[in-house]
Amino acid sequence: MSVTVQLKEMSLSLNDVEILKPISATLQSGRLHAITGPNGAGKSSFLKCLLGLMPHKGQIKRHWPDKNRGVAYVPQQLAFEPSLPITIEEYLTTTLTSKALFFKRVSSVRSQVEVLLERVGLEGKEHLRLGQLSGGERQRLMFAQALGQKRHLWCVDEPMTGLDVTAQALITQELLSLRAQGVTLLVVHHDPDWVSDYADEVWSINGGLVGHQVNLHAMGTMRLKTPKVMNRNQEVVA
Amino acid sequence: MEFIRQWVFSLYEIGVLPSMFQYAFLTNALVAGLLIGPLLGALGPLVIVKRLAFFSEAVGHGALTGVALGILLGEPATQPFVALFCFCILFAMLLHWIKSRTDIPYDALVGVFLSFAIALGAALILYVAKKVNVHILENVLFGSILTVKDMDIWVLLLITAVSAVLIIKGANRALLASLSPDLARVRGVNIRLYDYIFILLIALVTVASVKVVGAILVGALLLIPATSARMISRNGREFFAYSVLFSTLSCILGILLPMAGALPIPSGAAIVMIASVGFVLSLIIRRWRVIQ
Repeated sequence: MSVTVQLKEMSLSLNDVEILKPISATLQSGRLHAITGPNGAGKSSFLKCLLGLMPHKGQIKRHWPDKNRGVAYVPQQLAFEPSLPITIEEYLTTTLTSKALFFKRVSSVRSQVEVLLERVGLEGKEHLRLGQLSGGERQRLMFAQALGQKRHLWCVDEPMTGLDVTAQALITQELLSLRAQGVTLLVVHHDPDWVSDYADEVWSINGGLVGHQVNLHAMGTMRLKTPKVMNRNQEVVA
Repeated sequence: MEFIRQWVFSLYEIGVLPSMFQYAFLTNALVAGLLIGPLLGALGPLVIVKRLAFFSEAVGHGALTGVALGILLGEPATQPFVALFCFCILFAMLLHWIKSRTDIPYDALVGVFLSFAIALGAALILYVAKKVNVHILENVLFGSILTVKDMDIWVLLLITAVSAVLIIKGANRALLASLSPDLARVRGVNIRLYDYIFILLIALVTVASVKVVGAILVGALLLIPATSARMISRNGREFFAYSVLFSTLSCILGILLPMAGALPIPSGAAIVMIASVGFVLSLIIRRWRVIQ
């Protein structure tokens, strides 16, 4: 395990209102760091500061060998305009290649899209418009776009929002597999059961870092533990 | 350009084309239309996705002031390109700059700029109308196929080439930046740079389209074909393809039909009216699909 990101006195103020008090912390590779806290505590803001999406004070030091393999981001459910004629396949393609979407797609990109959709359980839905997706399907799509990149650090904002039990198991499995590959995971999650089962470290945030707990149970058992995979009838199949 | 005119004339002489094709100005206008149509059609879907329809309309109306300023500063009344381009760029950049630094709702901000552009343009146009033939002003504002010269076509060709490269290279990133801005930023897309490039493109196509479509109606041609295409497209590729098709057809028919019917209609007005007919047809097709 090595240090991936070091935060030194990272804080956030908007319009002279302090959203996050200075936070110092370390993220390590191959570990799942969970961020918990009540609504409005600043969990998503914390994530966005780390991603450089919000103006913050303090230092964020990144330590990864390959600069091209930066950060993957899974945002909380995005809203798409219902009548916009952009399909799931096209959306994923825009994240994989710079070749304009109105040209014929090369077969390697097409098969890459198929694999990504299969990994998040959206196979056969590639021709659906973005606006036709349910909340859970949008969440899976966000996960699929992140899977398309090979990144050192994953920042995931409420990944289970709107997901059914099967999809939750699928996404959890993908997160654990990433952790096993040495990826650093930072997951905002509000479910205490999920956090205690799978997180290696738990950071409680409420206007600043108010608690830090190393989850020994998860560290000792997690790499052997796999979530239950259920079929469409909610029967356990693995 | 001369070889195209000669070729079209020879087709008229052997009876392949009707008599209106004996006029060189019609060939010039058609060549311009064949460049403007695909250009505006390809840019339209991005305008829709980025929700900049009202913005492009405002820049088009800003052209009114640009034209008047050009004439006031001594540019030829039929080709006030420099002032037109500079004013459109300045107008669009200032609008976007204020948008990015305040929390004023975008539609309200564009409304303020649009009203100001029309007011300033109207005041200056009435002033310069005393100095030049009012028909020249009409041509610049609403388009005229009679005024397209070789120089205009070369300018148009250059702008089309630059725009095509920018659209082909940046379409995917611009789309991602419009649909998921945070995601695009994390992936290293410079959203601000893409916004300014897009504004540059809008200003460029406004200048490029002045001769045929007219400064006032350029915004409409960016918007109507793309909106029609959006209604009947099942995916992004169709969206772009139909938009280019509708825009190009509107330009060609808008040039040819008034000429064939000897109707005294400015080409810009005819083009936008035909684009509107396409919009109605798209509505009908969409409704028919729902019933099916």
